[in-house]
Amino acid sequence: MSWTLFKATVHQHRTSMFWFVAGLVSYAWMMAWFYPTIGEEYGKLVEAFPPELLAIFGGSEVPFTSVGGYFQTEYLGVMWMLIVSAAVIIYASRALAGEIAGGTMEFVLSQPVSRARVVLTRVAVLVLYAVILATASFVPIEVFGPAYDINLGWSVTWTLIAFGTLFVLAVGGFAMMLSAIFRGGGKPGAIAAGVLGALWIADVLSGASEIAEALGPINIVAYWQPGLIINGGEVAAEAWWLYGAVAVVASLASVLIFLRRDVA
Amino acid sequence: MDVISTRSLTKYYGKTKGVADLTMGVPQGAVYGFLGPNGAGKTTTIRCLLGMLKPTSGSGTLLGETVTLDGANLRRRIGYVAGEVRLYEKETGRWHMQYAAGLRGGRAPLTDELLERFELDPSRRVRELSKGNKQKLALILALAHDPELLILDEPTSGLDPLNQETVYSLIEERVAEGRTVFLSSHVLSEVERVCDIVGIIREGHLVAEEGVKALLGKRLRQVDVEFAEPVDPAFLAQVSGVDNVSAISATALTARAKGDAVDALVKRIAEQQVVDLRIQQASLEDVFLEYYRDSVAPVSGEGGEVR
Repeated sequence: MSWTLFKATVHQHRTSMFWFVAGLVSYAWMMAWFYPTIGEEYGKLVEAFPPELLAIFGGSEVPFTSVGGYFQTEYLGVMWMLIVSAAVIIYASRALAGEIAGGTMEFVLSQPVSRARVVLTRVAVLVLYAVILATASFVPIEVFGPAYDINLGWSVTWTLIAFGTLFVLAVGGFAMMLSAIFRGGGKPGAIAAGVLGALWIADVLSGASEIAEALGPINIVAYWQPGLIINGGEVAAEAWWLYGAVAVVASLASVLIFLRRDVA
Repeated sequence: MDVISTRSLTKYYGKTKGVADLTMGVPQGAVYGFLGPNGAGKTTTIRCLLGMLKPTSGSGTLLGETVTLDGANLRRRIGYVAGEVRLYEKETGRWHMQYAAGLRGGRAPLTDELLERFELDPSRRVRELSKGNKQKLALILALAHDPELLILDEPTSGLDPLNQETVYSLIEERVAEGRTVFLSSHVLSEVERVCDIVGIIREGHLVAEEGVKALLGKRLRQVDVEFAEPVDPAFLAQVSGVDNVSAISATALTARAKGDAVDALVKRIAEQQVVDLRIQQASLEDVFLEYYRDSVAPVSGEGGEVR
């Protein structure tokens, strides 16, 4: 990894990252603030929704009337996945393919820095962003929560941060791999978003479609159940392994692909 | 030993030919002008040499090392200006200089001198810079670490004549210190001014490689002359090396002189009373058209002749 390249990459994405973090902190705080206003009647109404409808918001496995179910349905389900995925897909798409199409990769690679270092540094920045995004997502609930009778405890928060970081890395690593393949940030971004959207649809339809259900073991969207952790439970061990494996394999693939391709 | 050499370097983009079977060499301390019209394959060749493009076949060496796609250490000794300068639009010139210096381990001893010579304000963002100022910034970034080899893809593009002169002076100074310069261009006057050797590339093939003096010997001039009395075109057509003689009017002729024939032509014209005389230098494209039309056979080795 190149420290100069790392600092420059962070510097160039500082503004967009700031707004994503600000948005997540505000969103988390707002959801904690609204929590006491969600009455039992409303909770029962939501729980009465068909499972497929609840699945659209990512709330099928956890009761909505619980803290975990509320946060998963209102914040940490689809909306959270949309926000953090947008952040890292935009970053990863620009990191390689966008810079090649924009011509700045030619400038970078005319300097004495190896291609492997360029990719590994971009992945290192992705790790930093994943940690920042996950921290900005869950720490506000821990910090502001007690004011609204929400007490997660730091051990739950740390678990959420670790699990969220891995999810973001899996999505970002996949987008980085596409970025190493294509030229121009549009195509890898569109494909990554499309695949994520397809996995979300597969998760929603998993009860109704055999094909969708068959995707279950590799569906990173289906494994995203932070509500379980908030409620003091545990997510399946496969979820941790799947996110970690996707993140590592996709990142390594990014390096291998980028080492062999034309970059101008 | 050649500082730059290629052996049967070939690059295809799918079915589109970028450069084909290119074999050439650039000796130490030379300024090599790589000439050709747009789309001839100059930039493709340079990008293959810098390891940014993977050749379809063939190979290249720079400073004695075989070019690879990941030759980071080799690039430490090279300064490069891209044909189309594209930098980080939101960042300043100073940021780029610090960035490049950081990637080069802090080495950029010529930065201040170059800023002064190009009169560039490094505090402005790239998006605020004119095309010429972006070009200056790219030149500073390429030269600041005092590289052994300069690879310049149309280095004076967008520069005013004063700054073009600065670039030529810098090239001459580097060569005087034993550096080597590889310069691509489609401007004949630029090549005349600074280059020792010229390679001409057309449609991906090297069609000629020779000294600048030899190239100049092939240069064409268009001569338009108006006499006081009517003159027959044969009056000029008899001069050796002169062709395309035609009458513009009863008293005016136009003719084309190749290389040294202009001397004999002017002396011939002076035998009559002249009212007006205009001599135009032919463009590089005219030289191409004259000497390389239908010439597709590539030069097979170093110092090859025009086929």
